Amino acid sequence: MNSNPELVLLRNQREDRPATLEEYRASGGYEALALAVREKAPRQICEMVKDSALRGRGGAAFPAGLKWLGVKEDAPHPRYVVCNTDEMEPGTFKDRILVDADPHQAIEGCILAGYAIQAQRGIIFIRPSYEQGAQLLERELEVARQAGFLGQNILGSGFSFDLTVHRSAGRYICGEATAQVNAIMGNRPHPMKGVHMAAQGLWGLPTLVNNVETLACVPHIVRNGPEWFRRLARTPTGGGTKLYAVSGKVNRPGVYELPIGTPLREIIEEHAGGMLSGGEFKACLPGGASTRYLPRQFYDLEMDYDTLKAVGHRLGTGAIIVYDNHTCFVGATLNLQEFFARESCGYCTPCREGLPYIRDLLWRLENGEGKEEYLPMLRQMAGHMAKSYCAFAPGAAEPVISLLTYFADEVREHISQKGCPFKGVDKPRPHLWYPPEE
Amino acid sequence: MLPEELHAQLQKKIAAAHRPRELAIDVMYAVQKHYGFLSDEGLLEAADLLGMTSLELEELATFYDFLYRQPVGRFVIHVCDGVVCWMFHEGSVFDYLCQKLGVCAGQTTADGLFTVLPTACAGFCDHAPAMLVNGVPYGPLTPESIDQILQKLRSESCDLVVCR
Amino acid sequence: MPKLIIDHREIEVPPGTKVIAAAERLGIMIPRFCYHPGLGSFGACRMCAVKFLEGPVKGVEMSCMTEAQDGMVFSTTDPEAVEFRRYVIEWLMLNHPHDCPVCDEGGHCLLQEETISGGHGLRRYEGKKRTFHDQDLGVFIQHEMNRCIHCWRCRNFYQGFAGYRDYGAMQIGNRTYFGKYQEGPLESPFSGNLVDLCPTGVLTDKVARFKGRRWDFERGPSLCLHCSLGCNITSGARYREVLRQEGRFHEKVNGYFICDRGRFGFRYESHPQRPRRAKVDGREVSLPEAVQAAAARLGRISREAGPDAVACWGSSRSSLETQAELRRLSRGQGWRAPLFFNDASQDRKVRNAVSRLDVRLAVSLREIEEADFILAVGADPVNEAPMLALALRQAQRRGAQVAVLDPRPVFLPLEFQHLPVPPGSINRCLCILLKGALSSRAAQGLLEAGAAHFYDALKCSYDQDPGLQDRLLALGRSLQPSQRAVIVCGTEIVRDSTPDLAADFVLLLNTAGIRTGLFYLLPGSNAFGAALLSGTAEDAPPLHPLIEAMERGEVKALILVENDPFWHFPDKDRLKRALDRLELVVALDYLPSPVMARAQVVLPTTTLFEGQGSAFVNQEGRLQWAPRLHHGGAPLAQVGGGSHPPRVFLDYVPGSEPRPGGEILRDLGAALTPDPGAPAVDWWTWLAQENPGFSNASALPAPPGGLRLLPEAGKPPVLSLEEVNRNADRVPEGHLELFLVDRTFGTEELASYSPHIQKAEQAPRLLLSAQDAAQLGLAPGEQVTLRLPGGPLTIEIEAAVNMASGVMFLPRHRQLAWQKLGGWPMLIAYNAIEKG
Repeated sequence: MNSNPELVLLRNQREDRPATLEEYRASGGYEALALAVREKAPRQICEMVKDSALRGRGGAAFPAGLKWLGVKEDAPHPRYVVCNTDEMEPGTFKDRILVDADPHQAIEGCILAGYAIQAQRGIIFIRPSYEQGAQLLERELEVARQAGFLGQNILGSGFSFDLTVHRSAGRYICGEATAQVNAIMGNRPHPMKGVHMAAQGLWGLPTLVNNVETLACVPHIVRNGPEWFRRLARTPTGGGTKLYAVSGKVNRPGVYELPIGTPLREIIEEHAGGMLSGGEFKACLPGGASTRYLPRQFYDLEMDYDTLKAVGHRLGTGAIIVYDNHTCFVGATLNLQEFFARESCGYCTPCREGLPYIRDLLWRLENGEGKEEYLPMLRQMAGHMAKSYCAFAPGAAEPVISLLTYFADEVREHISQKGCPFKGVDKPRPHLWYPPEE
Repeated sequence: MLPEELHAQLQKKIAAAHRPRELAIDVMYAVQKHYGFLSDEGLLEAADLLGMTSLELEELATFYDFLYRQPVGRFVIHVCDGVVCWMFHEGSVFDYLCQKLGVCAGQTTADGLFTVLPTACAGFCDHAPAMLVNGVPYGPLTPESIDQILQKLRSESCDLVVCR
Repeated sequence: MPKLIIDHREIEVPPGTKVIAAAERLGIMIPRFCYHPGLGSFGACRMCAVKFLEGPVKGVEMSCMTEAQDGMVFSTTDPEAVEFRRYVIEWLMLNHPHDCPVCDEGGHCLLQEETISGGHGLRRYEGKKRTFHDQDLGVFIQHEMNRCIHCWRCRNFYQGFAGYRDYGAMQIGNRTYFGKYQEGPLESPFSGNLVDLCPTGVLTDKVARFKGRRWDFERGPSLCLHCSLGCNITSGARYREVLRQEGRFHEKVNGYFICDRGRFGFRYESHPQRPRRAKVDGREVSLPEAVQAAAARLGRISREAGPDAVACWGSSRSSLETQAELRRLSRGQGWRAPLFFNDASQDRKVRNAVSRLDVRLAVSLREIEEADFILAVGADPVNEAPMLALALRQAQRRGAQVAVLDPRPVFLPLEFQHLPVPPGSINRCLCILLKGALSSRAAQGLLEAGAAHFYDALKCSYDQDPGLQDRLLALGRSLQPSQRAVIVCGTEIVRDSTPDLAADFVLLLNTAGIRTGLFYLLPGSNAFGAALLSGTAEDAPPLHPLIEAMERGEVKALILVENDPFWHFPDKDRLKRALDRLELVVALDYLPSPVMARAQVVLPTTTLFEGQGSAFVNQEGRLQWAPRLHHGGAPLAQVGGGSHPPRVFLDYVPGSEPRPGGEILRDLGAALTPDPGAPAVDWWTWLAQENPGFSNASALPAPPGGLRLLPEAGKPPVLSLEEVNRNADRVPEGHLELFLVDRTFGTEELASYSPHIQKAEQAPRLLLSAQDAAQLGLAPGEQVTLRLPGGPLTIEIEAAVNMASGVMFLPRHRQLAWQKLGGWPMLIAYNAIEKG
């Protein structure tokens, strides 16, 4: 279990079952809501969130308060809050743990967001593999409704807000805010560019889309103040704790709530139980599949948005996928490109056609058909992914770019040896599902 | 045809919805659950219920991962091929699963019980390698645990979740 | 206005202009696939990348997604942008087949052009190409999905722009498939635009398939004659026949697009039975001989029985030249004034409508897209004037409210309010609506005295349905804040006074400060011209008296100019008898119509494709010019007996005898009066003398956008309060009122001669309200037999919920022998409707 004394989001986590409403309330739950609807103006809540330095936990790290303040006070009604629990970024499972641990925390976060932008309706968007979480949320929403925290005239304040669960049928792109709004409207979930969600989101009306972890922080910010939240961080520009989802070649994979800015070494060695026996840390993806490989030289880096940005990396979702020295990075990158090529919504050319092209080149490298000229091609194409319609393909290119930056020698070895040098060990099977082309 | 009760229930749900289209996925799930997969007949019924055209619904049905436009087995096994599970493919647990069932990915066993499909990272990386059976997660998998799971599914029913 | 520098050249553009459009103004065509000026920006293909060097945007960005801003400096030739575009092309070509030699798009394929210009010549990708199964999308569109480069234009047009919901994108990623749920004809009557829009050969013109390359065609500007809107078209002919048509941009009329009737309805031009030889008494003669024979016989009849014994019947599909020459001929000979319309009611309605349009009130089709409130009265756009439906949709997409006051179960590809009231009640409903629209201004005393008096006196009760009354009042009230309202008024099923009432209504709204435009739909591509040439309503005789005069023997000779009465006259037997009584029928036409077979003198005319240039006036009074496309003659495919090249060489072009109707009529006039005495005045001067409406048309050739023949200020309100307040005329108990109506395909005369259009027709059905059907004990889909004055007519019924009761609609369909009505609108007693 977590051993950190400063647990905020996972304070009520239990081994056996989710925390109940009573348990959540015993830990101060819904006090923030009561405080907000009775004593705070909606705009004040937005300001508090802004001052807390809370940044979007879904991967883009946009300052949450600024997003909230983007909904103009005179904007039309109804307004919507969308709680993004889609979490389909490979390696990321923090939202599942968060919702399962303390569903009311997420619910209160949604209601507070609703109050802050004076929304009437909230939607929790959840992926199909989290069906258990969806059913839990539906049950607890009813509990919250019965307790007067949700629905008409919340806590007698005159503020009304209701939440429903929207089930997705499963596609990575649905995690993108504008695509998610399209998905809710029963459209093909393509991202929309040039759409200002705070003004014209769901059904053309003001809409706030936030990751569930972001929203879960809000009750604590409102209750304890933005200053308290900022002090939780271990970096000067950070704010709060972070759910680091550690997976891969470590002894204790899991979600660890730690002050944002906790060094990578500490996360892996002290919390995740160190590397699996027989392996050494080779690199990790610090924030899911659409971030760059963070190699050994950054092992002592503080894991926060700005510290990673300073060395050309991104924290993303904070889902740390740990690779050891037995892992082939051409194979790993190929696996990731299989994923991205399959999940591309198909709207814009670089993503739809470029990613399968990159995948094809990696497959040839991995299977002994590699050529030296593939390297500049991969570099150029991965670079051009930045000019795609949405952030999907630029994210997909990140592992490729860092593969060529940090592990170019390993790629060349594939060419010179006409195959994967890691044979026998971790034999990659990227074509488990798609038989190789003859 | 959908049973009257289910039809009425869906109709009521749609009538209460903010806009019918918001329920497109839910209705398709319900129809899929009834027919065992999202059959042509079911898709047309869903379109009719939602006031959408068959094309509009097909645009969605074929986009998503958990809507099955082809017949599938009683248990749909979505094996995670995310990068973390991939790291644990050592020992070929998935090959083992397919061999055990005598099918390739995308195929259904002759007894109509199991369909094996790949899926993107399912969010159970702390249990890698993992799979979902009718939405219920299993992991970390080993040849032994796979044997047990299959055995269990064959002998007792499993909690069906929304998509099935 | 933002000023920016593109490739070292400065340009100033209106705010809101996209950078790609700004460059186009300088003649710089930035490569693109998804962007289309008619559809807008989508940012999907990423082909239009340029490098921004200075100003508010930096780096490589899409020029279609970036709005021009002051101080922008960008380069279309920057190496980074060029390399990126080269990659985009390489990516698009990963899966594109190299089947250009057998692809109909080859030669005018955007993908071909941009592959070359983008610098992608060598295939580096070593993987396989993905393939798809194609679908049969009906008679108009050929589907070749393997060629798809996923620009999304087709879906953006089909669903977004046009609002139809049976074609779209399925699957995901690079397997994305554009098609239908199941193969079958596309439901949209605008599907042909997909051919123009598809940047490569996925969606090609099935009608023109394998008929030629772009450079093989004689291509030129033309006009659509298949309704009154006057959409602009580019036609392409090869080997003496028109083979393919495309939409041609007109800023004020059709924008970029056209409907399928207009695109594919041209095959009357190359109809195998098209009259190409002049005939006298069934014998083929030369055209001059036939003209001489006609002149001799007409002259004799005119002399012997008096000039009143000769009648001329033209049509609203003839060019202005032909119509005018007919008028001039009859005037010169002192014959009866020519008729151009099919019946007296139509004649009145069209002339009233035309007389009411002026520069202040008339709006063009594209101006409708800018409107914020549109009320369509007695109009069924998709069936009568399809492109109007697209304009309404664009208005609605920009936030306009659209309402339709029409008894039919009107379908529009957009959200709109439908008020199904019978034609007899439309006027009253308009009054109620007006009452609602002016209510707040009247209450505030803002109406001037005359208008206030009128307002006060307006009756606004609708006893049959008080709920409808409330809806109309509410609709009227929602007109109050409107800045740019438009009233669309049809002239087919409405009562004779409705076009005038619509105009009075519009005048009153404008007086009250609600800026409102007026838009009529007319029967025929040149109905406007015909109305101007018909003079005032007083000086033309009504039509049925013409038949009566024929029956009485007062008329002995009839000149039919591009007019087939068997197509439109509601009593076929009576028509036959009347024609049989005549001594002489002279028929001029390019259609192989039944009346051509009965005429003693047949004079073959050219279509607008082969004429010397033909002018047509659309329903908003816009005179437009269609130059000659090709020189005529029987298509090589017909004279060659299928073999090509022709094995026999001739010193003349077979089948090239037809001449423009106007020229033939002029020759006929000259033959009748060899020495006219007075010097012939210039044709346009003569027209202006005939009707002042033509006075600003003297400056021909017309400017490219056409010329509006409208007075500065039209008539003041014409209807008296008594007329306006007249109670709705009701259908007597136990009866249904029967109307003839149009269908997109099957009822328009010219297009009905096209085999492709025939295949797209839906079988004719009798429409009646579900309520009336139930009362008659009829089930939907059941066969009924109508006992009509001219005999029984058996037809399947369609019972509609969203239509007025007390009325029935019969399509004047090619496949239906409806010409037994005797007249229309007509009352049908319940007991004249029998099952089976």
